[in-house]
Amino acid sequence: MNMTTPIEKRDFKIVGKSVRRDDVLEKVTGEAQYTGDIKLPGMLHGKIKRAAIAHARIKAIDVSKALAYPGVKAVLTHENVPRVLHYGSPHPRSASCTKDQYILDDKVRFWGEGIAAVAAISEEIADEALDLIEVEYEALPAVFEPEDAAQPGAPLIHDVGPGGNLVLDPVRVNRGDVEAGFAEADFVLEGTFAGGRPHPAYMEPNVCIADWDGSNKLTFWTSTQTSFMVRGILAEVLGLPLTKVRVLVDHMGGGFGAKQDLFQHEFLCALLAKETRRPVKMEFTRHETFVAGRSRHPCRIWLKQGFKNDGTLVARDMKLVYDSGAYGSHGPGVTIVGTTAATSLYRCENVRLEGRCVYTNTPINGAFRGYGVVQSYYALDIQMDEAAERLGMDPAELKLKNVVRAGDIAPSGHPIIGHGLEICLKHGIDVLDWKTLRGRDRTPDPKRPHIRKGWGIGCEMHGSSAYPGIKEQGNATVKINEDGTVTLLTGAAGLGTGAHTALAQIVAEELGVRFEDVGVIHGDTDVVPWDIGAFASHTTYLVGTAAKMAAGKVRAAVLERAAMKLQVSPAEVDLSEGKVFVIAEPDRAMTVSEAMGPSRGIPAANIVANGTYEPTKSYSFAAHFTEVDVDIETGIVEVKRVVPVHDVGRVIHPIAAQGQIEGGIQQGIGHTLTEDYVIDKKTGRSLNAGLVDYKMPLSMDMPDIETIILEAAPDPGGPWGAKGVGEDPIIAIGPSIANAIHDAIGIRFHHYPITPEDVLKALREKGA
Amino acid sequence: MRRFEYHRAETLEHASRLLNELGDDSFLFAGGTDLLVEIRERLRRVRNVVDIKHIPGLSDITYDETRGLTFGALVTVGRLERLPLVGARYPNLRAALASLGSIQVRNRATVVGNICRASPSADTIPPLIADGAFVHIYSRTNMRVIPLSEFFTGPGKSVLARGEIVTGITVPPATENNGKAYLKHGRRKAMELSTVGVAVSLTMEDGVCNDIRIALGAVGATVLRAQQAERMLRGTALDAATVKDASAKAMEECTPISNVRASADYRRDMIGVLTGRAIKQALEAFA
Repeated sequence: MNMTTPIEKRDFKIVGKSVRRDDVLEKVTGEAQYTGDIKLPGMLHGKIKRAAIAHARIKAIDVSKALAYPGVKAVLTHENVPRVLHYGSPHPRSASCTKDQYILDDKVRFWGEGIAAVAAISEEIADEALDLIEVEYEALPAVFEPEDAAQPGAPLIHDVGPGGNLVLDPVRVNRGDVEAGFAEADFVLEGTFAGGRPHPAYMEPNVCIADWDGSNKLTFWTSTQTSFMVRGILAEVLGLPLTKVRVLVDHMGGGFGAKQDLFQHEFLCALLAKETRRPVKMEFTRHETFVAGRSRHPCRIWLKQGFKNDGTLVARDMKLVYDSGAYGSHGPGVTIVGTTAATSLYRCENVRLEGRCVYTNTPINGAFRGYGVVQSYYALDIQMDEAAERLGMDPAELKLKNVVRAGDIAPSGHPIIGHGLEICLKHGIDVLDWKTLRGRDRTPDPKRPHIRKGWGIGCEMHGSSAYPGIKEQGNATVKINEDGTVTLLTGAAGLGTGAHTALAQIVAEELGVRFEDVGVIHGDTDVVPWDIGAFASHTTYLVGTAAKMAAGKVRAAVLERAAMKLQVSPAEVDLSEGKVFVIAEPDRAMTVSEAMGPSRGIPAANIVANGTYEPTKSYSFAAHFTEVDVDIETGIVEVKRVVPVHDVGRVIHPIAAQGQIEGGIQQGIGHTLTEDYVIDKKTGRSLNAGLVDYKMPLSMDMPDIETIILEAAPDPGGPWGAKGVGEDPIIAIGPSIANAIHDAIGIRFHHYPITPEDVLKALREKGA
Repeated sequence: MRRFEYHRAETLEHASRLLNELGDDSFLFAGGTDLLVEIRERLRRVRNVVDIKHIPGLSDITYDETRGLTFGALVTVGRLERLPLVGARYPNLRAALASLGSIQVRNRATVVGNICRASPSADTIPPLIADGAFVHIYSRTNMRVIPLSEFFTGPGKSVLARGEIVTGITVPPATENNGKAYLKHGRRKAMELSTVGVAVSLTMEDGVCNDIRIALGAVGATVLRAQQAERMLRGTALDAATVKDASAKAMEECTPISNVRASADYRRDMIGVLTGRAIKQALEAFA
């Protein structure tokens, strides 16, 4: 990895260093306790009966045989659970806007939806009892494609919401005068684009444990990114005050955004535990993470843009349709973010956008890294490549001409800070000597005559924080102990990204203590400050700033106390590397431990400070330069080399940032070439709900990735200028691959995944 | 995961008797890498598993120049893969072994298990059929040895009667003038079921191919021999034009289906491409 730092030179002690994460050892030794590892005395196991039909009314459901099965303790159906209509997403009126879900309903809206739940003394018995539940369905006509669902007269999936199977009213954005823009254009490009249904396939399947105590308080362990949201909705649906619901989450095996919803099994687990008065665990199988988890919204995009002959973009007209699946979940949020994102990336003054989100009788789509933007920027970036081709221009040159610059209005409505994207592009062009690459000898290697090589560029920008959809808030509490060690309390979940390490670095740096002296307490809603959840690439940006604020207050209090002990005024002392000293006489010093601890006549101090931060949004940027090999006989595309150039502001932990970038690229390669969760268009049945036929790239499929991180456009809203990095890398890689394939074989693909069959078919149609 | 009864067999006779007594839904268990997944994923209804891992004598590997390579039912994929002899004499089998699952799976799975599962896409079957391997079958009344090519009757189905147990495989010896290859087409490079697999085993004498066997995986109810293509190639110098025509013939001979992994048309196309490439790779032995 390369890093260049044109910004403020400052002698950081801890920030910017790849300190060792304190969870590494316990994870590699298997000692780390994940939710699924927890066993409570008397714990029962819950399982969910899933519908084998895509759209139906339940006429009758008979659980008598299941209830009588030895070892079964409780069975729940729509007839005996509270009928509370609720939002799928924990961000009501932003990510979700219509309450469209019941815990269990008498209607089935997708194949695989839960229709009953069993608790039994073992997982096997619960599983076997599912087969004893007899269901009589009245089949309803079903729709599986958004085009069909949006037709007048299509079967309606919900009787709430705007109607016509719309999840929300169409999102419309108008800037400038699009018609005038097209009138001014020298040429117009128009195309349709389509995205598949990639699935996050996080390592740790969804899992939760519910336990009610004698005071009717619910303790709930769950693998979630949004523990306070789980607490809130559980309390609301169960009719409890927040003091009676405690949510715990420790280590997580990933989430990638999808673990933000309130899942059906979470309600059912709490209810089964209540019914049986015993702890109940529910853990998804891999199959269930597909059918009952969340995937990326499939989309259809129509994009028409007008260009001048000098490459200036003068009009953009775009219609996007996102497939929400059977429930709203994050459909509204994804549609709003994905649609408004298309105001930016490449400058255009005349923009008309319309985003729709449509219910279909398919599994639920939700939040997923890149949140609607993966889809819209795939179209924008590929069409920019096409414009370059039409103009006879180098795509690097055209993209450089049109990328957003400092001061341009971002999708959030605020001016963009810094020329981040321009700098990323220029840096990649220089490092790779792009002109030479473009002009290289393209004669196939005689040893591999069936291989064609290509290079492509993809650009992206993505916000840290969900503003303006959500008015965000980051909180942190920092306390210092009498031995000089420091405790950070945070509600931010640790999905496995190393967020807690970054937060501890920020606290140590700001306070002036060693990294090793900062402990992090997280994941207990009864203890830590309220948190909005770990999503939207915002933890370092948002909670990091709150932690820095709290640490700053503690530092001031420590200085005051030390000054008192050193018999000087607080302004005369400074604190660095765990030592307080008199600035004028550095030898007059004491350790933080001496400052904090009791001394003759003075007890130890209780210094606690809170930080609360309500930011707007920053944008991170990236340009990915990607090389592919295309086998023109098999259609197989192999990504050979990726040079991702990212601007993420101040880097807190370089290896963690690099890990995010490499991981995003791996996921993005999968989405672009091999990953698609396929739903049968006749029955709505899942055709590859499992890792046997849902193919993510593995280590052996990974190209060389030469990550370059530029600290080019720091955002004053983040700690020392830090911005988000989680979502960015998955966005640019897709179009860079599609553009590289075009460079290799002269064929444009407007969809993903681009399968070997697609490539071969297109090559034949072209007559190659 | 559904519950099942576990039985440990001490001898072949014991295992065979258990299979007979326990009746339907009883299965032999060696590596378990397929069976346990099938139970967990509810793809196979299993009431009893009969563990044969403790039966003596099933872990042997022998080779001699007259009878060839013989390995027992408990020989793992990984063990055979790492055997230098296999790499040197049976590079097609070696390639198939190395492409199966992951290192962890290969250290657990047995080759005979891969064969008895009788999947048309099983990696080890095409090279063994191309090499003319034989199957040793134990039964309490009628022990037999049959060509592997006659073992399969359909997807997941074989000629084994209840109580019969495959104890090992014999692959005829390889000679100096053999050329062999196995090419697998998948969606990624590891942990993958083949979309199409092509194994070739050929013999060259004075620049002329006097024998060739081509076995095609995942394009029919069982692994198939491309016999018409083979006939077109025997007696030729395997020149590019003949190989091209024979590859086209192999495409006609296969009977693929469409599923979530690939369409029938694409599988057929890949038979054409991979047959040509496999022959070319097999000929590199003489380069």
